[in-house]
Amino acid sequence: MSRRTSAAAEVRALRGQVREWRRGRAELSVMEAVSEAYIAIFATVMLGSMAVSVILNLRSASGAACTSTTCTTARELMPWLIGGVEVALCLGVARLFGPMLVSPAVGTWLVSAPVDRRPLLLPRFLGTGSVAFLVGGVLAAVVGTLAGFPTATIAAFAVAVAAVCLCTVTLSTVVQARGGRAAQVATWLVAGVVWAAVVALVLQVLPAQRTPPSFSAVWVAALVVAGLVAAVSGWRAVADLPRIHRDQLALGGRLVPSLSGALATLDLALIYDILVSRRWLARSTVRSRRGGPSGPLALVWRDVIRLWRSPQTVVVPAAALVLPYLGATLGIGEGVLLLAGVTGFLSALGLCSALRVLSRTPGLVRCLPFEPWEARAATLTVPALVLVGWGLATAPAVHAAMPTTWGAALGLGAAVGVAGVVAAARWMTAKPPNYDRPLVSSPAGGVPPTLFVSLLRGFDVLVLLLAPMLLASPSNGVLISLVLAGIVAGVLLNRR
Amino acid sequence: MPPKPPLLRVRGLRRRFGEVDVVKDLDFDVPAGKAVALTGRNGAGKSTVLRCVTGADRPTAGTVELDGVAVDERSPQIRRDLAVVMDDMDFFPDLSVVEHLDLFAQAHRVGDPEAVVDAVLAEVGLVPQSAQLPGTLSSGQRRRLALASAFVRPRRLLVLDEPEQRLDRAGLDWLADRLAAEKADGLGVLLASHDQTLVEAVVDNVVHLG
Repeated sequence: MSRRTSAAAEVRALRGQVREWRRGRAELSVMEAVSEAYIAIFATVMLGSMAVSVILNLRSASGAACTSTTCTTARELMPWLIGGVEVALCLGVARLFGPMLVSPAVGTWLVSAPVDRRPLLLPRFLGTGSVAFLVGGVLAAVVGTLAGFPTATIAAFAVAVAAVCLCTVTLSTVVQARGGRAAQVATWLVAGVVWAAVVALVLQVLPAQRTPPSFSAVWVAALVVAGLVAAVSGWRAVADLPRIHRDQLALGGRLVPSLSGALATLDLALIYDILVSRRWLARSTVRSRRGGPSGPLALVWRDVIRLWRSPQTVVVPAAALVLPYLGATLGIGEGVLLLAGVTGFLSALGLCSALRVLSRTPGLVRCLPFEPWEARAATLTVPALVLVGWGLATAPAVHAAMPTTWGAALGLGAAVGVAGVVAAARWMTAKPPNYDRPLVSSPAGGVPPTLFVSLLRGFDVLVLLLAPMLLASPSNGVLISLVLAGIVAGVLLNRR
Repeated sequence: MPPKPPLLRVRGLRRRFGEVDVVKDLDFDVPAGKAVALTGRNGAGKSTVLRCVTGADRPTAGTVELDGVAVDERSPQIRRDLAVVMDDMDFFPDLSVVEHLDLFAQAHRVGDPEAVVDAVLAEVGLVPQSAQLPGTLSSGQRRRLALASAFVRPRRLLVLDEPEQRLDRAGLDWLADRLAAEKADGLGVLLASHDQTLVEAVVDNVVHLG
């Protein structure tokens, strides 16, 4: 018997033992499992057909409504942009989870056993690749449909995007096994290309041929190349599976239950904590920077160090600045304020990590000789300055989209920045759902009354602060919004 | 000359959770330059008393006074006088060990903070880990960092909840020496502990709960 066959046999034996162990502990009978599967398939088919119907109706509606040149151009470019975003997301998610991972139990009992890890990890690899292929393909098909592509082109486009998504999984697996930064560089590269395309759309510098060619030999050749790349990289990844270190497999395995637990309680801030903590854990050491001012300014200075240490917390808002300008180019009018507000709010989340740590750690606040509001205000200073600067940078977009003077546009931009940072403060200082208090009955069982509201957290404040700017005259709107922002910030910073 | 009032005075302390009195009618003092230990089985209420003393929890009844002033956690003066190390201590994930201690020292406007921090770092044995992020420290090292955070700042009363947890033998010996030095400097020490050796080595008065 060859060595490989022997290893496979050992893995089979281990799996058999696990199955045997589980057999006596099954919670479902076969009939119950079949019944649940039937319900799941029926629900999938029903919801799927509803989704297809909605997409086709949207396609007709968007085709009829989108008549201006800019809108048509954006619609033509949308599949390419969304396809790029899909690939960047796929790479990011693959890197976050491994992509190869094992549960803590498998990591402890099976991965540590002296067996070939390839047969152990192969099902996971095939499953992950299949999910990336299917999700990537379906999303691309939806976007292609909304863009009004012919059916054959939609199919070819979907298969091409799906193949690239599959390649991102294989590439990330090879990087996981061999080390290096190829997957990270690829993520930034793809994101950079998407961003450049949006900038080109804003600047109206676009190629004449924007829609994909109709299905032809070019597509066949492209698909053959994509298939070959996927096959070769897949073969390489499978060959590298045994080289993946146990620690790296366990890292993703620990992340999944943590994130599922946080998602089950809809505690998005906890997800933020988990991801931030994991990111810094991977970095392990930093070049310490000493000195700096004393008193509350010591906290502010640490935030400046953070900007230096994590440039992406500034790069992301700076890159996202293009979105309000895109809105102005598309002619959405006052909707630019809404778009800028949401973009500013989401961009500010990465800047407010210190506020989040102070809000969830009373022991740390107790070490500081300030009132709690003073400590929170100190950690909000740098994010506020960055966001107000960011808001001011959106002023040209506001000026282009709305009939305002430059002065009013600057005021609106600054107020939008303030709204974004106050909304981020609301998100960061929120308390987790409290399961000790009376629960509300729901189809999913008893849930805390605040559970579903937690999804709207931050957006509620954003709507409150943007409404005066959208409803009143610019000068009055800015004034009312800033007064409201001051009141909300005061309440949030003083919260016990 | 009237006797000097105690640094910390606790009178009639009561903390009720639902129908259960976890702590009832508790009186004790912590004079300056003395150490008091709270002992008792798990669940006897040691941490609850410490939480009430530091203002982290509100007693159902009774008073807690530091130098004759009711303890309120929100008061910056109380935060300056009380150095507290409890289980709810956590750290910024993106600041190194030495940056944390620098932050605490600078926040308290300590003169020559770098020298103070370097001395405490050497004392707690975390010099090799000074550039590490807290998430990468072992549980014992994290405990040392938490204790160090109390020693880099000015204080009048040190409140420690089971400080012996996760410390090795050498760490326990260092802790006993350090607490003795705190007393010698005229500071008060209040700790909850299960470690009989530490209690016998440091403590002047034991309050047994439960």
